[in-house]
Amino acid sequence: MAAMEPHPIRLVVHDDLERSRLTVFFRLLLAIPHLIWLSLWSFIALLFIAPITWIATLVSGKAPQSLWDFYCSLVRYATHVYAYVLLAADPFPGFTGKAGSYPIDLEIDPPGRQNRWKTAFRIVLALPALLLTSVLFGGQGGGGGSSGGTSQSAGEEFGYYLSAPGVTFAVAVLAWFACMVRARMPNGFRDLLAYALRYGAQTWGYLLFLTDRYPDSDPREPAPTPPPYRPVALTSEEDDLRRSRLTVFFRLLLAIPHLIWLFLWTIAAFFALVAGWFAALALGRLPNALHRFLAAYLRYSTHVFAFLYLVSNPFPGFAGTAGSYPVDVRIDPPERQSRWTVLFRLLLGFPAFVVDSALTGALGVAAFLGWFAALVTGRMPRGLRGLGAYALGYTAQTYGYASLLTARYPYSGPPGIDVEAPPEEEPEPAWPGVSPSPSLHW
Amino acid sequence: MARRVALALAALVAALAAGWAIGAWWLWQTQVPSGLRLPEVAATDVLSAAELDEARDYERFLRFSFLGSLVVLLVVFGLYARYGARFVRESAAGRIGTGMLLGMLGFAILWLVQVPFGLLDLWWERRHDVSELGYGEWLVLNWFALGGEFVFVCLALLIVMGLAGPLRNWWWIPGAAVFVGLATLFTFISPYLIPAQVDAPPALVAEADRLAEEQGLPDIPVRVQEVDAYEAPNAAATGLGPTRRIILWNTLVDTFDGDEVRVVLAHELGHHSSNHLWKSIAWYALFAVPGAFLIAWATRGRGGMREPTAVPLALLVLVLLQVLALPAQNAITRHMEAEADWVALETTEDPEAASRLFTDFSSAALLDPSPPTWSYLLVETHPSIAERIGMAEAWRERGGR
Repeated sequence: MAAMEPHPIRLVVHDDLERSRLTVFFRLLLAIPHLIWLSLWSFIALLFIAPITWIATLVSGKAPQSLWDFYCSLVRYATHVYAYVLLAADPFPGFTGKAGSYPIDLEIDPPGRQNRWKTAFRIVLALPALLLTSVLFGGQGGGGGSSGGTSQSAGEEFGYYLSAPGVTFAVAVLAWFACMVRARMPNGFRDLLAYALRYGAQTWGYLLFLTDRYPDSDPREPAPTPPPYRPVALTSEEDDLRRSRLTVFFRLLLAIPHLIWLFLWTIAAFFALVAGWFAALALGRLPNALHRFLAAYLRYSTHVFAFLYLVSNPFPGFAGTAGSYPVDVRIDPPERQSRWTVLFRLLLGFPAFVVDSALTGALGVAAFLGWFAALVTGRMPRGLRGLGAYALGYTAQTYGYASLLTARYPYSGPPGIDVEAPPEEEPEPAWPGVSPSPSLHW
Repeated sequence: MARRVALALAALVAALAAGWAIGAWWLWQTQVPSGLRLPEVAATDVLSAAELDEARDYERFLRFSFLGSLVVLLVVFGLYARYGARFVRESAAGRIGTGMLLGMLGFAILWLVQVPFGLLDLWWERRHDVSELGYGEWLVLNWFALGGEFVFVCLALLIVMGLAGPLRNWWWIPGAAVFVGLATLFTFISPYLIPAQVDAPPALVAEADRLAEEQGLPDIPVRVQEVDAYEAPNAAATGLGPTRRIILWNTLVDTFDGDEVRVVLAHELGHHSSNHLWKSIAWYALFAVPGAFLIAWATRGRGGMREPTAVPLALLVLVLLQVLALPAQNAITRHMEAEADWVALETTEDPEAASRLFTDFSSAALLDPSPPTWSYLLVETHPSIAERIGMAEAWRERGGR
């Protein structure tokens, strides 16, 4: 992946993951003054100041410094408030959006010249980013289900993506329980929230003329915490992002034979999993043959969904062979597993399934937007592709955990792309299986 | 030695050709009396001058649209045979998976270039009140139909390329047999794939049972298919053995009189009593064996059907064979339809109702009673309306049985 210039709006995290149970318990109520103030500020900013800023930027090619400062403070303040509400940070934020005043903050480059065409059509151009932001921050509830193995009509499918719980909403609810139990935020959750906050800030920064650089949804930016080693992890070859317009246009139909085959394979995998569950309960590990079969199934489903959701370009094979597809899943050999976690595996996996369901919503919207972009330009936008790979990686981890391929709990933080080597020491789980270990870089 | 092999080969080919001819002759046998002379029926005897003008105008447009789409089909598959192998780079699948992708892409491109023709036809049908289908609805239906085609293409290529792996260029022998088996299976289950079926009125069922008994058939279920988007009438005989069924469109049941519907019932039952569905499968087998051989032969230069790069060429050959076989296939279906008409006349003994039915058919579906010869040979799967009315006249002149 070619190195890109850093985005003018960057998220900075100085958070120690410690949380006060008292403020966590009352977090939503404590945030009420901030939410009122933020609403008021946003109302004034959008209704009265935005048109003035738009005209001024259009005429001079640059946002006036005073208005730019005003919007900087607003976007920064909104980030502080959301970080507080969503439990991504602990302290009660100030009301001014002052730079450097909060553990989760924004670095914003000074105002530069902006393309007048992009300024003129800013609100239209921002629509895809706003759609993605709404999926990341929406909280419509519902959702459920997952990306695994079922086929629906396109309309139902897209409706599902939009009605799925917003990623941050789902994570915050789960994080609330985790923080109440451990007085500590799981780092995977915090990093996922940080990713969403970054994207949200970039979207609002773009919409409010802080920059004309489009928001970047690629999760592969340095995360606040390096991700831990994952025994089940997505691996991805260098993607030149080229997409064949013809196969993009017909992607859903081209995937039909794979979806049929995947459906049949899912039936077999279900029985293999039931057998594997009993075997793992008896032996304390998944037998090799079942591990191989379920691993091939997981790889194959990842290949199929990577193809379907435009994360990868080529038509995948039908065997789920390791290394046969640019987007693949590395799965470690069978390991010993606690019989207790095997016994309650599906129950333990519930939080991961909730997060997976929410991320699948984001994946669907990324694919929807990517479909149009790839049809027009013949290329998949890097950010959307990265978000898709991130979501697919988490799905692979979740199903790898649920299907007993690993005892390691899915790590929800970015980037969802493989790391090179296992850590020397096993990390302590913070949330069932979530490791806070910063022992690896990527 | 070489001469002996050549002679043996020639003898084998001659034996196969003779077997083919005997099979075709046997299948061509019909209950329509040999030498039956059909009286001339002028188109103006069927429709009024205004109706005839409209029907001819309507059909002329559709014929040229058909020819245009046929030319486009051949051009697209010709170009795809030449350049389609480039799409191999879009696949990370193995030999067969890549072949499937190339097969699907061929049909996808064809779909794209034929959409304008389809929309144009729909516009024309809507203009003449033959169809009420919306453009968006048509696109969605066609989109899903393309998905169905993809499934079929993948299954076909799975069979062909799976067999071509171990058997090389001899895949066509078991391949043709498998396709005939699949055609039989599809015919068997086809009644269950037709949507929007409801029970036929009891009176219609009783009439069908009586007609079936006269034709020596057991009771055959009759169902009505609700087709809100179309105005034209239609009916079909489907299924094999225990799945046999008669499907009548509601546009027929609701608008045609009882005697006319009775003729339609007798006609469709005639297909079953004359074993036309089995015969269609047998005809398919007669064409499938040489067709599969020709595809295997034509693709040898590209490594045969075991190589995915041969798939685009195979599609072109398949389409060419289908186009070349179209006049023969239409002749066969017209032959069967004529036999079913005859059986219906023999069963109902009501040539007036039959004549009225075909006249009303022509009027409702805007059918040209006497289409041009080229269209008759290339497009028409049924005898012309004039021929069908002529047969009813001929039956009456013979004094029935």
